[in-house]
Amino acid sequence: MDYPRAQTDELKPYCTKLSMFTEGGVPFFSLEGLRLPAGCQPQVCDALLCPVTRDNYPSRLYLSVKVKSLYDRNWNCENARIGEKNWFAFSWKVEGANLTLAQMLMAHLLGFTKEK
Amino acid sequence: MTAERFARQSFLGADAEARIARVTVGVPGLGGGGSHIIQQLAHIGFQRYVLYDDDVVEESNLNRLVGAEARDALAETPKLHIAKMRILSLQPHAIIRGYACKWQEKPEPLRECQIVMGAVDGYRGRRELEIACRRYLMHYIDIGMDVHGDERPVIGGQIILSSPCGPCMTCMGFLTAEKLAAEAARYGNAGGRPQVVWPNGALASTAVGLAVDLVTGWTRKNRSYAYLAYDGNEGTLTPSKTLIGIEKYVCKHFGDTDLGDPVSIPL
Amino acid sequence: MTVAIKMTGRLYDEIRRDLERPHPFAHERVGFVFGRISTRDAGGKLVLLTRYHAIPDAQYIDDPTVSARIGPEAMTWAMQAVYHGRAAREGIFHIHMHGYAGETGMSKTDRREIPPMMPGFQSVGRDAAHGIIILSLDHGSGWVCLPGNATLVPCGNIAVIGTEVKIFEKGRTS
Repeated sequence: MDYPRAQTDELKPYCTKLSMFTEGGVPFFSLEGLRLPAGCQPQVCDALLCPVTRDNYPSRLYLSVKVKSLYDRNWNCENARIGEKNWFAFSWKVEGANLTLAQMLMAHLLGFTKEK
Repeated sequence: MTAERFARQSFLGADAEARIARVTVGVPGLGGGGSHIIQQLAHIGFQRYVLYDDDVVEESNLNRLVGAEARDALAETPKLHIAKMRILSLQPHAIIRGYACKWQEKPEPLRECQIVMGAVDGYRGRRELEIACRRYLMHYIDIGMDVHGDERPVIGGQIILSSPCGPCMTCMGFLTAEKLAAEAARYGNAGGRPQVVWPNGALASTAVGLAVDLVTGWTRKNRSYAYLAYDGNEGTLTPSKTLIGIEKYVCKHFGDTDLGDPVSIPL
Repeated sequence: MTVAIKMTGRLYDEIRRDLERPHPFAHERVGFVFGRISTRDAGGKLVLLTRYHAIPDAQYIDDPTVSARIGPEAMTWAMQAVYHGRAAREGIFHIHMHGYAGETGMSKTDRREIPPMMPGFQSVGRDAAHGIIILSLDHGSGWVCLPGNATLVPCGNIAVIGTEVKIFEKGRTS
């Protein structure tokens, strides 16, 4: 699946390095050094944005560590092996068709700062 | 060890023992299914093993964990130890690399295997193992069983061979988005699923047979895939109906870029 | 540092089919096979062969003093392929076959002619492994130049992951 350059460019300000790979036919955007919202511990970590439906989620943000934030989240995905690394994700569904990649990322990051 | 040791399996071919001895087989998960598998592999003559299990024997395992004794539940013996002892009792010169962790925590040793035999939990676990096997070129033989229904229990299960260049578990209709989604909705919690020894034995035995055929070619079937559905109530193993038309399939899920370490395209 | 090579049965069959074809004047055929390097346990390396390039008949040089000699077009193609494979850390292996059974190694001519190709490949594909593979009718041997190292390291084994698994190890035929 191809994503417009304009959309991928919009992701760049949020991380130090952006790349993409596919695994098992599923695309993943790798965001190295993703800056997390204020109040998160750590403030920066690596992340994977999966922009397609996978495992009951329309899209998902995987993180290289379990992040502490304002709200306790249900980290229902631990040590998911993707791209030969292990990732974590909490239960947070981002609905809405036709989101741009940046909108998708923002909606996932809201999971750290929005109660529900 | 004398030639008499393998006299009864001479139909596998004149050089079968040498071929079998050279293969490195990975077994992530040494529970009910894995313990059956490694016992049979050792009997046949496999010498090189990469094993993973981070668990210890509990009393509830004793109904099916091959090699475990009642005292092991009291002592909380690691399942890895049970497996090692079982292998070494049959193959004293076996080379065993064992890791008391999940394979995902130390994946490099698994890459040296030519065959991986998995009895892991869950669809997600199977997907991850299959991806690793495709990346690092390993045949993946999967087994699993389940019991469903309270009023009239039904035992089901599968044996699947997913090989590089062949159809994958998604192509074969075993891994589906629906199954993965349903599992994720349960937070991946398999829970204390019913498990009994005889289906594990049937599945493990057939899986080991597939492995031996991959190494010796004794059936001359040249299998690049298999999906056998187990009906534990009828006691049958039949090719899954989802395989209809599979010969024409070219796997779309794993391509050249999925070989080796992931290749990221900078954006 | 131990190194192992793996390839699929399909790739092995493709290579064998090409290398066993007769050539109008060369006694042996030569090909290039590409591979990606990964890490094994205890710092060892694994080379996963990905695809094969058969050298066209016209790119051989008629030299009766050797079993096969490839010309500059073949080498130019190879160098360009290494260049284009840099992002995937894909390296190149010179491959040919000796037409006898049993364990095989580099002939005197092989030792003289093939290792000198490696520095050129390394200069273009610095992060990839490059090397040499020699097959026999029922065995295979390999030597690998790891990234940053000019020495050719013998492979511990070559495994063919096909409908019949083949493992070529030093001292044992398949």
